[in-house]
Amino acid sequence: MTDASLPAPSERRQHTSLIAPDARTRKRKAAEARFRMYGIAGIATGIFFLIVLLVSIVSSGAGAFQQTFINVPVYLDPAKLDKNGNRDPEEMSKVSTFGYSPLIQNALLNIVNEQSIETPLEKGGDMKALISASAAAQVRDVVLANPDLVGETVDFRILASSRVDGYLKDRVQREDVARDKNIDAEHLDLVDALLPVGVVEKTFNMAFITGADASESRAESAGIGVAMIGSFFMMLVVLVLSLPIGVAASIYLEEFAPKNRITDVIEVNIANLAAVPSIVFGILGLAVFIQFMHLPQSAPLVGGLVLTLMTLPTIIISTRASLKAVPPSIRDAALGVGASKMQAVFHHVLPLAAPGILTGTIIGLAQALGETAPLLLIGMVGFIASNAPDGLASGLLDPNSAMPAQIYEWAKRADPAFYERAWGGIIILLVFLITMNTIAVILRRRFERRW
Amino acid sequence: MNDMRILERDVDTNQIKIAARGVQVWYGDNHAIKDVDVDIQDRTVTAFIGPSGCGKSTFLRCLNRMNDTIDIARVEGDIRIDGEDIYDARVDPVQLRAKVGMVFQKPNPFPKSIYDNVAYGPRIHGMASGKAELDEIVEQALKRAAIWEEVKDRLTAPGTGLSGGQQQRLCIARAVATEPEVLLMDEPCSALDPIATAQVEELIDELRRNYSVVIVTHSMQQAARVSQKTAFFHLGNLVEYGETGHIFTNPEDPRTESYITGRIG
Amino acid sequence: MSVIWLSAIILSISLGGFVLGRRRALASTGGSSKKLHSLPVYYGSNAFMKSVVPAFGILIIWMLIQPFYINSQVAPMIPADAVETDVNTGLLMSEVRRSAEGIDEAVRSGMLDEDFAGDTSADFTVMTERLKDAGQIVTTQFSAPVLRAAQAYRKMSGISQTMMTIVVIAVAIAGAAWGVMQSDRDFRARNVVEQGILAILIAAASVAILTTIGIILSLIFNTIEFFRLYPAADFFTLLEWAPSFSGRGGSSSLGILPLLWGTIYISIIALLVAVPIGLYSAVYLSEYASARVRGIAKPLLEILAGIPTIVYGLFALLTIGPLLMSVFGDDGTGWMGGGRSVMTAGIAMGIMLIPFVSSLSDDIINAVPQSLRDGSYGLGATRSETIRQVVLPAALPGIVGAILLAASRAIGETMIVVLGAGAAARLSLNPFEAMTTVTAKIVSQLTGDSDFASPEALVAFALGITLFVLTLGLNVFALFIVRKYREQYE
Repeated sequence: MTDASLPAPSERRQHTSLIAPDARTRKRKAAEARFRMYGIAGIATGIFFLIVLLVSIVSSGAGAFQQTFINVPVYLDPAKLDKNGNRDPEEMSKVSTFGYSPLIQNALLNIVNEQSIETPLEKGGDMKALISASAAAQVRDVVLANPDLVGETVDFRILASSRVDGYLKDRVQREDVARDKNIDAEHLDLVDALLPVGVVEKTFNMAFITGADASESRAESAGIGVAMIGSFFMMLVVLVLSLPIGVAASIYLEEFAPKNRITDVIEVNIANLAAVPSIVFGILGLAVFIQFMHLPQSAPLVGGLVLTLMTLPTIIISTRASLKAVPPSIRDAALGVGASKMQAVFHHVLPLAAPGILTGTIIGLAQALGETAPLLLIGMVGFIASNAPDGLASGLLDPNSAMPAQIYEWAKRADPAFYERAWGGIIILLVFLITMNTIAVILRRRFERRW
Repeated sequence: MNDMRILERDVDTNQIKIAARGVQVWYGDNHAIKDVDVDIQDRTVTAFIGPSGCGKSTFLRCLNRMNDTIDIARVEGDIRIDGEDIYDARVDPVQLRAKVGMVFQKPNPFPKSIYDNVAYGPRIHGMASGKAELDEIVEQALKRAAIWEEVKDRLTAPGTGLSGGQQQRLCIARAVATEPEVLLMDEPCSALDPIATAQVEELIDELRRNYSVVIVTHSMQQAARVSQKTAFFHLGNLVEYGETGHIFTNPEDPRTESYITGRIG
Repeated sequence: MSVIWLSAIILSISLGGFVLGRRRALASTGGSSKKLHSLPVYYGSNAFMKSVVPAFGILIIWMLIQPFYINSQVAPMIPADAVETDVNTGLLMSEVRRSAEGIDEAVRSGMLDEDFAGDTSADFTVMTERLKDAGQIVTTQFSAPVLRAAQAYRKMSGISQTMMTIVVIAVAIAGAAWGVMQSDRDFRARNVVEQGILAILIAAASVAILTTIGIILSLIFNTIEFFRLYPAADFFTLLEWAPSFSGRGGSSSLGILPLLWGTIYISIIALLVAVPIGLYSAVYLSEYASARVRGIAKPLLEILAGIPTIVYGLFALLTIGPLLMSVFGDDGTGWMGGGRSVMTAGIAMGIMLIPFVSSLSDDIINAVPQSLRDGSYGLGATRSETIRQVVLPAALPGIVGAILLAASRAIGETMIVVLGAGAAARLSLNPFEAMTTVTAKIVSQLTGDSDFASPEALVAFALGITLFVLTLGLNVFALFIVRKYREQYE
């Protein structure tokens, strides 16, 4: 290298003061600020979407926890309910709900007259639009359980129809009523008049949380309680199966598996299973559990089995991470005092990894709890499970729904009154998910160990 | 190489390029640089030596405000380049770094072609008005980094495909392409083999003709070979600063003597 | 005897084996556990294991095989002319099973006595009456041959049940006895038990493999069945999706292309929403944000990932749909006919994918070595120049991998499209039109009333295998790219 071959630096870039920025620097700084804004905008948009989502869930779903009731003293007319007068429940059960409806309607009409409310609605039958179709069944159940009430006037708190409920929740507008054959403007006037005197009232609706789904025409009495029990039994199956299988599989792969082709295949397989669309697990469940093994359709057991297969990869991946986090020195220490490999793993490694495993399992369960698509294929939608199961076997095998499937079912129905239920169901589902995730986070914080 | 060579060296100019007064640096609670005063002369190679963790690299990174990119670093004191305070609120670190280039310990070519690596700086600073001019800048920079002959036929090949020594010279070419006034080198040869080291050292000596070069090194031989001025750092303090020949042959501070004779380090 | 009782008996036999095995081992050394090869508990466990594992194994296998065996024995009993033309044997056999269960139920409730229920000469009409009285549902399919078959079915399952009980209990006792006999001071009980545990661990690990095999087999067999009824060429090339509603096939057009187009179109919209937002968020979080902002914003975004897809589906149907309608519907620009559209589903899906893209990209951007950023800053580049010209190009392969993973998610997503995209299969470019997807059609074809043997139902399996291959391919490819990328900087 000679000096002559070296070009000297040219003066292409002016050597200016550092303090006075030149035009180009100003331009570059502006570009920098713009780019930074894009980043902030990206995050802001994401968080904005989150807020919109949460606000629309809460604002649309909060209504499901409130319900309109009518407080009405019903005269249980012996002439209608117990013609023979011997108060025999067997005989009285022959009177269907159609026998009860007029009693309730007349009772309501009486109140209207007592309160001297002016209304063009003069017949008992005109009151029908205000009263839920399930009210008659409610009264009938009380009477059959207690036949001696017949002949007395009993105070009832019955459900108002979903139109009345919707009117008080601003879902049903007066403009819409003109086209609605179920209710007229006069009815709404009457509701307005009954509201201040406490006959019609909107209160907290426990039945939504504990009750069962109702048919298409009775949105006001639909609840998510039975679906919640269905979800509970499914989660029970998932927990009982996926935790031991997942932990056993992870222990084998992490601690015992020889490094060979078969182990590789299993590992790649687990990684890919975690990314298989959930609907494919539904197809698997349908083909294997229902078509091939003839397990009952719509049973939480089958739902639980499908969700177990779906959750296993998640649990295996997180369990392996927790096992990996236990330092080899612990294993060496146990082996060094003469423990077998199996003893070292089960007595020392596993207890130390337990908090991590538990956290992973809870997160896996939370995922399974919100999963819907596979449940549609094994038939956990489209019917009404009216009663809560009465034991473990019936809980696992009787047809039931699950919370997300129930929400889907409501979202599909024509009556917008069900949408409110769907959002309300989502609030309950999210409460469960938030609780589970919080427990997982607390567990992690509490027991996290740094080696 | 003969260490006696240092005695023949003389300093070309006494013009002061960088003046640092009372510089303090904290990394979180760690007081990394304690009250350092130093004047760095133009067209001179200044070497910072000292044991690991003595703060020499930290101080170097103050000179082009690279410490700004570390959240927990805090710098106090006064550093002036050509009389301008580089920590002045009005100073844009981006403009400063264009003026004070840097070469790092580990060669870090971008995952781009050799050409794009060198053209990166000129492009962002808008130094070339056209393709032809940019080609010329790239060629000159590669020539000045003494790597042109090796890469001129494969300018489109990725820079990461070169050998370690070539990569480091590419990084030097990348730094000189932006035509800085000061070139900071943070142990530029620590990842290189002896032959590559010799090439880079020769290059540093050439660069002195146009730049003020500051080099951090943990090799005393290297400091003796390439620098005219040497600063010895120890535990965050600037212990001794002076002519390289003087420091190596007749250190005033006992700590410097211990270090150059190999008792601490 | 019910399975639960049988299980309880097996368990108590095995526990008995445990106690005896342990006691016998101790007795062989005169009560001193020091002279035993293994701890006493291992001798007990050995006996327990040898009893419980084979007994339950046989129980499960028996219960799986029994219905097939009995089916094959009972099916020929139904004369061919009793099978009406529009009912296939499979359906009739399930009627037989249901009737058998009905009779069981009636016997249990005491409405029917065992002798009469098993009497093969019992009158059909009387039996029907009795069953109805017992509250059992008697369908129109219930006929004399079905009754006879059901009775035979009952009888055979009764015999099979008894045999199963005897065999299983015998195996449990034999296993326990074997384990107890082995218990001796020189027997290496711990090694044997540990071998057994290892076998259980291996079995657990192979559940994942079995799942995959199950998925592949159930898809392939049903798809072959479908292609036997419906030409494969039509399935892959027809531009029309119009299943006939009779559920009998013949007039249906089942072309996958409109569904595939809907799937891809919605996924593209979703990625157009998710990728810019997710990527810019990731860049900001990893390059600009202070630790505090990062600590707040990152978990907030990740909440979006924890929300179940049914919520996004409802959000699409009830919030995004009406919102879009108010802008693009009849009152607005008039491009949109209804709330359900490609756009509706695409936006909801995009929101769902934001955290997916952002956290994957965040990881990948963080994997770019700091030395490259330093190199760029050292040359006087600004942060944005460094990110755009050094960091992002370096991270590009990883980011492409992340986007492919997100695309695979989008293609496999079901609930959002079922609720938000509509039901009509359509080949159109208008994003405000309702279209449908592969996943949505899998749901609708398998949840209707049509019979499982019809091409309209079986087509779902062909759709399923397409979906499976598509998402698996994308995943494998994406993981390959990401791994290559990681290796580059290790």
